[in-house]
Amino acid sequence: MRIKKNRRDFLWQTGGGFAGIALTHLLTQDRFWKVEAAARAPHFPAKAKRAVFLFMNGAPSQVDTFDPKPELTRRNGQAYQGALAVGSNGRPVGYLMQSPFVFAPRGRSGLPISDLFPHTARFADDLCVIRSMYTDTAAHASGCLQMNTGSIFLGKPSMGAWVTYGLGAENESLPAFVVMTDPRGGPIGSASNWTAGYMPAAYQGTLFRSSGAPLLDLRPPVDDRTQRRSLGLLKELNEQHRARYPDDTELAARIQSYELAYRMQTEAAATVDLTRESETTRRRYGLDEAVTADFGKKCLITRRLLEKGVRFVQLYSGGGHIEDTWDGHNDCITNHRLHAKETDRPIAALMEDLKATGLWDETLLIWGGEFGRTPTSEGVGKPGRDHDWHGFSMWLAGAGVKGGQAIGATDELGFAAVEERVHVSDLHATILHLLGFDHTRLSWFYSGMNQRLTGVRGEVVRQVLA
Amino acid sequence: MRFFLSLALLWPASAADYARDVQPLLKRRCYGCHGPAAQMSHLRLDQRASLLAGGESGVPAIEPGHANRSLLIRYVSGTDPKLVMPPKGPRLTAEEIAVLTAWIDEGAVWPGAADAAQPEDPRRKHWAFQPLTATPVPSVRNQDWVRNPIDAFVLAGLERKGWLPNPPASRTDLLRRLYLDLLGLPPTLAEQQRFRGDFDAEVAHLLARPEYGERWARHWLDVVRYADTNGYERDAIKPSVYQYRDYVIRALNRDKPFDRFLTEQLAGDELPDANAETMTATGYYRLGPWDDEPADPAEDRFDQLDDMVSTTSQAFLGLTLGCARCHNHKFEPLSTRDYYSMVAVFRGLERPREGRTELDRPVGDWPAIDRFLAREKQIADLRAAARRAWLAGGQSQLPPEAVAAFLLPAKQRSEAQSKLVRDHAKALDAELLQLPVEQQVAALKKATPDLDRAYILEERTPPATHILIRGKASSPGPEVTPMVPQLLAASFVAPAPTPRTSGRRLALANWMTQRQNPLTARVIVNRVWQWHFGEGLVRTPSDFGVMGAKPTHPELLDWLAVWFMDQGWSLKKLHTLILSSNTYRMAKTNNAKYAQEDPENRLFWRVPYRRLQAEALLDSMLAVSGKLNPQMYGPQVYPEIPPEALEGSSDPGKIWAPFDEPKASRRAIYFVVKRSLMVPLLEVLDLCDTARSAAQRQTTSVAPQALQLFNGAFVNRQAKALAERLRREAGPDAAQQIDLAYRLALARAPSAAERNSLTAFLREQSLEELCRVLFNLNEFAYAN
Repeated sequence: MRIKKNRRDFLWQTGGGFAGIALTHLLTQDRFWKVEAAARAPHFPAKAKRAVFLFMNGAPSQVDTFDPKPELTRRNGQAYQGALAVGSNGRPVGYLMQSPFVFAPRGRSGLPISDLFPHTARFADDLCVIRSMYTDTAAHASGCLQMNTGSIFLGKPSMGAWVTYGLGAENESLPAFVVMTDPRGGPIGSASNWTAGYMPAAYQGTLFRSSGAPLLDLRPPVDDRTQRRSLGLLKELNEQHRARYPDDTELAARIQSYELAYRMQTEAAATVDLTRESETTRRRYGLDEAVTADFGKKCLITRRLLEKGVRFVQLYSGGGHIEDTWDGHNDCITNHRLHAKETDRPIAALMEDLKATGLWDETLLIWGGEFGRTPTSEGVGKPGRDHDWHGFSMWLAGAGVKGGQAIGATDELGFAAVEERVHVSDLHATILHLLGFDHTRLSWFYSGMNQRLTGVRGEVVRQVLA
Repeated sequence: MRFFLSLALLWPASAADYARDVQPLLKRRCYGCHGPAAQMSHLRLDQRASLLAGGESGVPAIEPGHANRSLLIRYVSGTDPKLVMPPKGPRLTAEEIAVLTAWIDEGAVWPGAADAAQPEDPRRKHWAFQPLTATPVPSVRNQDWVRNPIDAFVLAGLERKGWLPNPPASRTDLLRRLYLDLLGLPPTLAEQQRFRGDFDAEVAHLLARPEYGERWARHWLDVVRYADTNGYERDAIKPSVYQYRDYVIRALNRDKPFDRFLTEQLAGDELPDANAETMTATGYYRLGPWDDEPADPAEDRFDQLDDMVSTTSQAFLGLTLGCARCHNHKFEPLSTRDYYSMVAVFRGLERPREGRTELDRPVGDWPAIDRFLAREKQIADLRAAARRAWLAGGQSQLPPEAVAAFLLPAKQRSEAQSKLVRDHAKALDAELLQLPVEQQVAALKKATPDLDRAYILEERTPPATHILIRGKASSPGPEVTPMVPQLLAASFVAPAPTPRTSGRRLALANWMTQRQNPLTARVIVNRVWQWHFGEGLVRTPSDFGVMGAKPTHPELLDWLAVWFMDQGWSLKKLHTLILSSNTYRMAKTNNAKYAQEDPENRLFWRVPYRRLQAEALLDSMLAVSGKLNPQMYGPQVYPEIPPEALEGSSDPGKIWAPFDEPKASRRAIYFVVKRSLMVPLLEVLDLCDTARSAAQRQTTSVAPQALQLFNGAFVNRQAKALAERLRREAGPDAAQQIDLAYRLALARAPSAAERNSLTAFLREQSLEELCRVLFNLNEFAYAN
């Protein structure tokens, strides 16, 4: 990755604040600063060097996954009497609805996990569940934006873009920030969830397909010999032209980008070629079963991407609308059974492999959706659950994370975070901290302001840290 | 303040005395955080000026004479549970609150040296806020180099250093540079052959070409955050929004004076000569993203207003006023009062819609709109009556239960009846179309024809506007009137209502386009300079504030701004001036010594070397391949995108029209700008973000660009077309094909070395391959 970047932004990032006239003076001296080196050091040493965001698109229900509520079971079928706004977008509110799933204490820590996730549960002692998440919106579009970019408004850079900006790329023949969506469709808001916003386009997430050519236009339209010959001619003519502008690094960078692209053709294609993986491995990821095959493939590709130094991988479970995602408005039970089954075994296999290869100690895993679901049914007569933005669960695991614990709590019925409340921006601050960044200093000067992933909010959740 | 002092002298005894009652209380309970030692939120309660100015929220802590409107009382009495002071320890007692209340109600009398003059904010002295004055053109030693005053200013800077400007660009380089700059297209073979070396005549010719508007409108669309869709979940197409894009193209081609161009966009409906064109221009306000399902409708209202304030202040004034929404601007002399005074200007603007469905509006002069709306009402009434009579009269062939359902008001229908209505709606419509009333309708439509429609807002009576404490819609503070930033408000003339509107936006536009306004002309002149050269004289083109970059040539900037206004704000005259300078005509080549000392080219010793903007690059390929469809204007077109690109969308099957090559071969300014799915080839080539006003395109060089440009369908399609064209126009001879290819793509003949390389290449590879390489050359993407 090579980015023409101006000194102004660089100073704002490293200087971390307002230095008045002296700064303005510096800015005007040397506007451009070119990123030559691939990897960059964070603010302070950190264990996590890369991250995987397992995005459960559509919003999983907390009371059916990681937040057991005996009181909800006890009051099953009663009307909700509390003061919270329940129900999004004018949808009807039904009655309190217990979870049909069994929560058992798992691992040595005894962390309760519902039987939706028998495989993930094997790693209970590694999971740090945050039960007290909350967000600012009950709509998918703005909810996904907030979880991914820290803001309910369009146009802000995504977390992956911030991490790429902060840490740079380790491997220039692969994109530093990879996104894999669900075959049923992308998340609502599509690319605005992995955009670079006001930062250079080079920081944005690159869509990686799990079947066929993984990147847009990766396959040359001609045979390899011709491709090489044509690239050779291009380079020769470009070098003749560059002799007129020997100082111009932009021209040199553009020449180099064609060579990188050629290497990417091979490297990216090799990453998705899973034929070399053993039969056992393929089975562990669930590639042999239709229900797990797609997410399994993505998890296996994720492992291979991480091995090659990709910084940030985001996987979407669920795509399109309603029941094709975790958005269980009509029948949350069947819905969650399906989506949990699709993802549980692959995620466990990924964790297993990360541990086996040692990547575990350098990789941060994030699991969750854009908000949670109501402990009440949606309307009457169907086991659906509506959006709940007052409280929901997510988990973190891997590098720098203290596993085997649940942080915070929702109220007795599971509606709203009440103890040790963690706003999405607090989660972002914590994730950046785990990757070695002070979220108040990782900033980009734009539109008259020092912009941050966490905006004007965000507190690191210290209990998460190992 | 003097008023209150005199009050203190007149009033004998008071219920609450500052020294006796108030100060000890404040000292005891408040000074810990808001006193001499600490000033949380930049507020101190030991100075009357600070109390009156407020802390960083920009809202005064007290309003003398009005305790009930004073923030101090609101906080200490705990009426707002989120904002209670003091935050720790016991709350103030009722007696203590009563003391403060009485003191404020009596005028907040503050004895002693309270009226010490406030020092003036030094930031107000910032260069960009100072009036424009005619700067003298400097004298230079090398008068021969000076074709116009631009050259004198630039050369003066170089001569101070003992430097020389770069040598002039070659004739071929300069011709291609002019075409790409003004039209976004390279010169055709005929144009190259026709050219006899008169650049001034060529500039005049190019400025008269319609392609000029298509190229330069795109620059303006960046500034006004243009996109064709709303973003968010449904990401719906904005109805008729392309009329705004076409308005900009036409305005530039006709050289609409910039002051008028600005005024039409801000207040086209408030002008005495308002018409379809000026109303269409106000589509400007509605171009931003819009969430049709906002988390909090009250906040959303102010988010929409924020979009207008932020865009307008950056686009026209180069001010980042948007930063003063929640607190006073951290860096600029702009307050929350300034921000909300500007909100008040736009406060009456509302989005016409039915639920989530946005509506466009008829445009024309007001009498025409009135006639049209009256006709629409008349038609609706006639049809409703005929429909009722038809249904009630038992003439319909529909099942009786459906007829009964149709006769009920929508709200009284049962679920089953609603279904009947949905199922039979089409059949009923078919019946109704046969009724005699339709002949009356046709006659009415003939008498009063339809109007054009545009995607604009409507102004309703604006409600009162308040400063919002910490930017929260739920925390209104003092009321404000429509006003421009206080720093620059001296020449602002308060709005006078027009017969249809509040006149607020017209007052804003009039103030912006006054000659005394120090920012408007400087900002647009700088933008035009940047669009020609890649860098502005101020290199932060939407931030002329204290935190913005200082101008490299301040005298030149001011001279240009004054000259521009003298010339009637004519953009074409400004282009002509810039393009006829020797400064513009310098070569872009390097000078090692100068580059060492001035790597940023701040002295402008050469013309910067920049990659073509994505749109111009694609348009150039189409022009060279011969496939360019020159059709202008109209609804968005959908270029070919790889099916994989749709995979990230939540509705992959529905959002992209099938590929139609002639349509997709139009200029890229007509390509749909879909906020959730940008055309990948434009996006990878650094298309700007469309959520907010964009001042400048970035330039990145990354591998995915090379993949799309070398392997992608679009470029390979153009390579094939060019190969066919070469065979057709140059015949079978390789040397002639190579020669023509270079002239078409690079507007020059190939060098001997290039000829050799290419001839060798063609011995083993196809002409298509050669064309593919040609389109990927650095020289193709960079104008020499």
